[in-house]
Amino acid sequence: MKFWVELWVRLKVVDLVQQTAWMTLTEKLDFNRFLCGLARYSYWGMEVEGLDREGVVREVDRVIRMDSAFTNQNKHFYRLMVRGADAAAAEKIEERGNLNLDRDFPVVPGSGGNNGPIHACDLLIREQGGERENGFTARLQTRLPGVTVRGMKAGEVWRILVRSKDKEEAVRLVEEMAVTRSRREGLLLNPHYQRHEIMRTTDLNVSKEWEG
Amino acid sequence: MSKSFAGKVAVIQFPGVNCEYETVAAARSVGLEAELFRWNLDPGLLEESLAVVLPGGFSYQDRIRAGVVAAKDHIMDKLSQLASTGRPLLGICNGAQVLVESGFIPGLHWERVDLALAPNVMADREGYYCNWVHLRNERSPCAWTSSFREEEVIPVPIAHAEGRFVTDDTGMLEQIKKNGQIALRYCTSSGLVDPAFPVNPNGSMENIAGVCNREGNVLALMPHPERATWLRQVPEDLEGEWGRKRKAAAGRNDRMEDEGPGRRFFASLLSGKGAALPGKGSAGGISLLAEKEGRE
Repeated sequence: MKFWVELWVRLKVVDLVQQTAWMTLTEKLDFNRFLCGLARYSYWGMEVEGLDREGVVREVDRVIRMDSAFTNQNKHFYRLMVRGADAAAAEKIEERGNLNLDRDFPVVPGSGGNNGPIHACDLLIREQGGERENGFTARLQTRLPGVTVRGMKAGEVWRILVRSKDKEEAVRLVEEMAVTRSRREGLLLNPHYQRHEIMRTTDLNVSKEWEG
Repeated sequence: MSKSFAGKVAVIQFPGVNCEYETVAAARSVGLEAELFRWNLDPGLLEESLAVVLPGGFSYQDRIRAGVVAAKDHIMDKLSQLASTGRPLLGICNGAQVLVESGFIPGLHWERVDLALAPNVMADREGYYCNWVHLRNERSPCAWTSSFREEEVIPVPIAHAEGRFVTDDTGMLEQIKKNGQIALRYCTSSGLVDPAFPVNPNGSMENIAGVCNREGNVLALMPHPERATWLRQVPEDLEGEWGRKRKAAAGRNDRMEDEGPGRRFFASLLSGKGAALPGKGSAGGISLLAEKEGRE
């Protein structure tokens, strides 16, 4: 059976890269009117083939907890999600780990001066060429008996919270913040060797409990 | 009272760089006046400087991407103004990453980011790589290499994890080749440009080790000439003329202070194309352009 596996990993301690990005975006690139939260994760998404869901979850969870290329239990929270690869089976998700992604929306009180509604965009950044992803695939494959790793997306996800009138504007703002086109435009990726995709945009206004 | 930088080489000290003292020493070794310039000083103090160098290291701890945070700093506004009017500006290693992320290099569209210094791609290894390499001096308008002969082979050390010059704009790459902006290429000790590792130590397109702007006053250079300024810094087992010189000098302290292969990058500021004499102030850099125009 085929499954889609996602692993999200975040530091338990203060993320200085995230803090530097926040300072640069708000103080040097003038996004302080829009930006109201920022989080950073390591991300792996892969298609795997195994006999049963239970076995895949157990084996992948065992490996990513033991191999520091993926997580170090002393310094990382993680969330492992396994769902069926076909549409019918995709509804059911098996999860492991101690990172609650659905509540991890770090809104900074008083930030984002334009008072618009808050949207959260998950932006995945990957390197071109796939050497890094091939390396992770090979690393996992040697440690996962009975499971075949077929495809891998590995990179960094930035969860960017912006005040914007709608999701479309949120995506536009996030791409302006992310893609470095000139000295005065963009910070998070250089399009000459990196690619990005918006994985998901969430409207946080349906639930105000995250704010503050 | 603020220190004057008139007529001096200013070596910019961003938080996290670690080659600034060696770079000052290397510039002084050819008789230039050189001083550290903290990144948060008044950028106006650079107005009368002779030249500016961004040294190697890890500005802002390489957070997000090597060089990108420094590229957004306030001081870069001043460097943009100085460089675009001809002031000599050299970025070494992390400094080169800052120049690329600032869009000063290749500078065909000023401040537009047309290149990247991506993670090294090497045979059977990844990450940081530190070794001596050989560079071939190409025909270019570069002021910082004007003391070298065309096709001269220059051994220098490299030490980086993100030194692979790449672009997804092939038209732009052709344009910088046509303009002669590829100032230095990785090569063998005999000057052969071989794209394979370890001659090309990071997988750079076209074996690029250094790119200058069209006018030649700005150079982004991944290797470290300040670590090859004295003969004592050259390893005895280095292939070629410089290794033989170093071996011959073994045990003779007086010879150890002789010139190393990297010193002439700084000496180039004193030679014909690079001449921007102390006291000429901001007009100094313009003499570079005048020189180039004369050649054309």
